[in-house]
Amino acid sequence: MILFLVKRLIWIGLTLWAVFTASFLLMSSVPGGPFQSERNMSPEVRLRWLERYDLDAPLHEQYTNQLTGLVTRFDLGLSMSLQDFTVNDVIAQGFPVSASLGIFALVFALALGLAAGMVSALWRQSIWDVALMSLATLGIALPNFVLASVLILLLVFKLPIFPSAGWGSLEQLVLPAICLGAPFAAYIARLTRTGLLEILSQDFIRTARAKGLPARRVVLRHALRGALLPVVSFLGPAIAGILTGSLVVERIFALPGLGSHFIEAATQRDYSLAMGMVLFYTALLTTMNLLVDLAYAWLDPRVKLD
Amino acid sequence: MNERSGTDRPLLAVENLQVQFRTDEGIVQAVDGISFTIAAGETLGIVGESGSGKSVTNLALMGLIPQPPGKVVAGQARFQGEDLLGMSPAALAKIRGNRIAMIFQDPMTSLNPFLTVAQQMTEVTELHLGFSRRQALDHAVAMLERVGIADAGRRIFGYPHEFSGGMRQRVMIAMALSCKPDLLIADEPTTALDVTIQAQILEMMQQLQREEGTAIIMITHDLGVVAKLCHRVNVMYAGRFVEKAPVERLFAQPRHPYTLGLLESLPRLDGQGSNRLTAISGSPPDLAQLPDGCAFRPRCPYAIERCASETPTLVDQENGNRAACLIDVTTSPRVAETKRP
Repeated sequence: MILFLVKRLIWIGLTLWAVFTASFLLMSSVPGGPFQSERNMSPEVRLRWLERYDLDAPLHEQYTNQLTGLVTRFDLGLSMSLQDFTVNDVIAQGFPVSASLGIFALVFALALGLAAGMVSALWRQSIWDVALMSLATLGIALPNFVLASVLILLLVFKLPIFPSAGWGSLEQLVLPAICLGAPFAAYIARLTRTGLLEILSQDFIRTARAKGLPARRVVLRHALRGALLPVVSFLGPAIAGILTGSLVVERIFALPGLGSHFIEAATQRDYSLAMGMVLFYTALLTTMNLLVDLAYAWLDPRVKLD
Repeated sequence: MNERSGTDRPLLAVENLQVQFRTDEGIVQAVDGISFTIAAGETLGIVGESGSGKSVTNLALMGLIPQPPGKVVAGQARFQGEDLLGMSPAALAKIRGNRIAMIFQDPMTSLNPFLTVAQQMTEVTELHLGFSRRQALDHAVAMLERVGIADAGRRIFGYPHEFSGGMRQRVMIAMALSCKPDLLIADEPTTALDVTIQAQILEMMQQLQREEGTAIIMITHDLGVVAKLCHRVNVMYAGRFVEKAPVERLFAQPRHPYTLGLLESLPRLDGQGSNRLTAISGSPPDLAQLPDGCAFRPRCPYAIERCASETPTLVDQENGNRAACLIDVTTSPRVAETKRP
């Protein structure tokens, strides 16, 4: 177990290093730079800027400087587009917003998805199954911004229940959380349904029923664990994605989260912020996958960690 | 032949059981009007090829047929005076695992891989006998010891994948017998096991039966198992019983061509019959497209023209067997034999 964790942590470190190197090479090979758009910049000023961000050094020095800063001090450097902010600041400010929204969305997605999936599987081919699975297909197919517009029209303008946008109170999180969580709820519902149907057709479920156990106990005690395995493996990457925010949802509801940085850092050639976002996401993703593996071992006694 | 049955009221009396499945090819009559009885403490063998309906019969009695597509369309099954097929699911659940227990073919998949043996065994007695957790655990350990699992007090907390196939089947049997059922339905309990393990398991079942007086319905395609364990045998083909006889007479004097075919496909050590093993030609019938008349006719070496139009029913034979055949296999020639390559 300890050995497993140590091994995995080493792997996470290696993954981060590989991602760092790949991102660095990609960014330095893409034409343009962070200060390309500033017009009428005198060569002296320009040089000062480049110095400030260590962009005047040769590439291999930039690489080693950045890597040592990262490894020794967790320092991702200064943001090039959001001046006066370090990348660490940007993440420290945006992540709590995105994460709160993400946790809300996740709870919503799990509650709805698991319930819908179980109802669908247990009353297979009933009207409920058809209705819920159609809804799930819709949830996967419908883009965030369409759902957001519909919800805003209905629940902000027609029936003024929720505030339209902003950050600070719980009510302001409800609509964006629903929009962000809907496709995840749909995936979870479908995975739960398939997983549960698969398990319910197993021999050991017949054994449980032959023992005279009530249907509820057969499902909850004998079937659910196994049925959740596919959901758990989906949750790893899903959580990493959902916690780091969504550009569209955060834009529509004017939330100061991380989502927009993923896109903007790249388009503005903000090398340090882009690198920060990529590494942060990678770290989150690999950690989540590690947690998934631990959860697997906990759920399924046949899984051995090594 | 069998003194145990007949005198007092049978433990279970099945009357005209019919089970259908809805499939893509239409309605399939998986079990077509079978009747049988079993007395307390008796062992009844139900023999037949895969797909002959022997498992479906017993799943139907236990209310374990997936519905849809399956459906019990007719029949009665009186178990200690109550009709299993007519009772509510809740009432049937009280009998299942308690008065009637079941063990299945594949011990590798029949135990829940996510729960410990202790969890799976104790829930039966807690549910049916109202045992406390402690009582249930002690009882489960005692049962495991009885089926020959060494160090049961420790091993009970293991998971099924930590047991071998034979050990798992012992666990299944211990679990099935833990409420002292009156009837044990064993659906090919040894088919998935090594031959040496098979013998041990059968031996153990016999011993437990002697100690507990449990009646056993042994579903199998293995005539060796039948010979070892059963008092009476019902041979099943295409959803019907084609021959019923006490075990000694079934082996010595079969009266249905299918039974005869099964026996001729077995090696014999007593020198009777020819030394060549013969297979039954053809393959088991497609239940969705049964021929008119006798379902065994296309494979039957004795078939005559009447077999294509008349469906034979079980009738008493001169030796006391009951067989569903129009001809007398002791005197009739094998018509089709010469045609076969």
